[in-house]
Amino acid sequence: MNHIKHLLSKINVETIKIELMNTAYGERSTLMAKLDPRVAIIWYLMFAILPWFFWNNTILIGMLLYMIVLTAVSRISPLILFLLCFGILTEAGYIIFVSIFFGGDLTAALALMTFTMKLTIISLASIVIFTNMDPERFSDALLRFKVPETFCFGISYGYRMLPILIDEYQSIFQSFRLRGKYPESKGVLGWRYIYHICVTTVKAFYPMILNTAKRTRTTVEALEVKGFTYGMHNPKAKELKLSYLKTTKNDALFLSITCVVLFLIIYTGNTYPIERTVHQL
Amino acid sequence: MNQNSLHQKKELNQSQQLMIFVLSMSLFGLANIITEIVPEFTFGPVELSVSYFAFIPLTMVFLFSPLPAALGAPLGEIIFADLLMGDFGGIGELEGFIEFGLAMYIAGLLVSDPMNKKQISIAVLVGVGIDQMLSTIVDIGKVWIGIEELEAVPGVPESILLLEGISFVNEMLISGVLFGLIPALWLVPKLYGKIEPLMGFEPRGDRSFRSATEVVSARFLILAVFFCFVAMIAEFMAEMDVNFAVWEPEFIEQFGQQFLWIGVSAAVIVLILAIMGISYLKKSSTPDTKSSRKAQ
Repeated sequence: MNHIKHLLSKINVETIKIELMNTAYGERSTLMAKLDPRVAIIWYLMFAILPWFFWNNTILIGMLLYMIVLTAVSRISPLILFLLCFGILTEAGYIIFVSIFFGGDLTAALALMTFTMKLTIISLASIVIFTNMDPERFSDALLRFKVPETFCFGISYGYRMLPILIDEYQSIFQSFRLRGKYPESKGVLGWRYIYHICVTTVKAFYPMILNTAKRTRTTVEALEVKGFTYGMHNPKAKELKLSYLKTTKNDALFLSITCVVLFLIIYTGNTYPIERTVHQL
Repeated sequence: MNQNSLHQKKELNQSQQLMIFVLSMSLFGLANIITEIVPEFTFGPVELSVSYFAFIPLTMVFLFSPLPAALGAPLGEIIFADLLMGDFGGIGELEGFIEFGLAMYIAGLLVSDPMNKKQISIAVLVGVGIDQMLSTIVDIGKVWIGIEELEAVPGVPESILLLEGISFVNEMLISGVLFGLIPALWLVPKLYGKIEPLMGFEPRGDRSFRSATEVVSARFLILAVFFCFVAMIAEFMAEMDVNFAVWEPEFIEQFGQQFLWIGVSAAVIVLILAIMGISYLKKSSTPDTKSSRKAQ
């Protein structure tokens, strides 16, 4: 219990900022980071879609194990993993609680296990991919897949910009708190206090919006000076920008190993299926 | 997009649209990170949480051209709150993107004068309402597909419906009114006329960012979403009734699979409608632009 409390106390603005900095600028030497981003995206799509087609628990467990191994190799930050587990457990527990309340039994829990497992596989896949990939490479890969330029730009911009924005918002918020007056009495359940915090949160957005507007204008002007709009619509310029994306032997090896593993999982699953027995009407 | 950028879509050129897009993306992304930190209060089955600060994207769509602002906001959420925080739901995010983008776009079209409080109030409630209805539809559909033969599992359909109902009311009250309507009514008039010079363009006028056809189609879309929502809930209730009809096992065997497909097709229809609606709006707005610009 103390351990959980300790972990929960860590979830504040500072930790999240550091975590984001780490994701945006951190060293990328893990297996997934070295992959060609296009291969990584294809791999991710495979695991985002496939779980929905199986109701056989053996196959899902196999996929989950594969994901856990990959997660372990990819050095994911404990905070993100903790948030994931916490989310999954509370969500599933909540639904089970309510369905038992409505006269259901543990069948509901088992059915939801399958569902939760699917969601977990997909979340783990995305964590492995997106916290490990370099934003520029990621956005270039998307550009190669013909995703609109503005979106690709948005992704690399977002990764780099967010920590700065959070910093700025935090300092505005703190200065509001410094100048503002805290409510003298807390009220029932501390509602005055909560109200005060909420109002400050909203009010702090006013200067934030104006500042961000100025900053956005500067960014876009700088982009246009570099010929962003023109370059993005010019096939030659695009070709030049994306020419560094090359698949290597490692990528092919990774994809083929994944396919073999998947095949094995599905084969084992079909031989020893664990399926929920339904329909005993 | 290429074609449009050549003859300036509406009054804004490509880089100004990019500006609005980036602004809306950054601000809503930031707001989402903050909502992640805000603690939740749970009283039994009633959960009080701020799921998003709706006033940020709403303010953006009211003040600026609705389309880039509406597209930027959900992207900001995906990048900042989901990709960076490792909470990325994969294909599921696409659904959120469409839902939220569509809702915000419609809300933006409903406002012609940002100083008019009545218009803003209606647009805020419609915007958040559409988003919530669409997400309820998709949520129910998802559990439906995710759990095979849902009607055979006692307790789950009722609990899902109850949870969705609670979350709908909760979201409308907290995200829609407390963190949508009230802050937007305060922020929009305050920012109007101040933020536009910083970005380098004129404040939004009565007809500057929208056309009559767009408004008419917006009304049509609102109705479409609402009816889909009603239809989906009705279907789900019907599904529950099947569950109670235990004395007719053949009935389930006959129709079980088909009922599943009704859910899937409802979700697909909503998606296609949304995409068609957006592309139709885009097309219809181009010829109008020239005439409205001449008029000014």
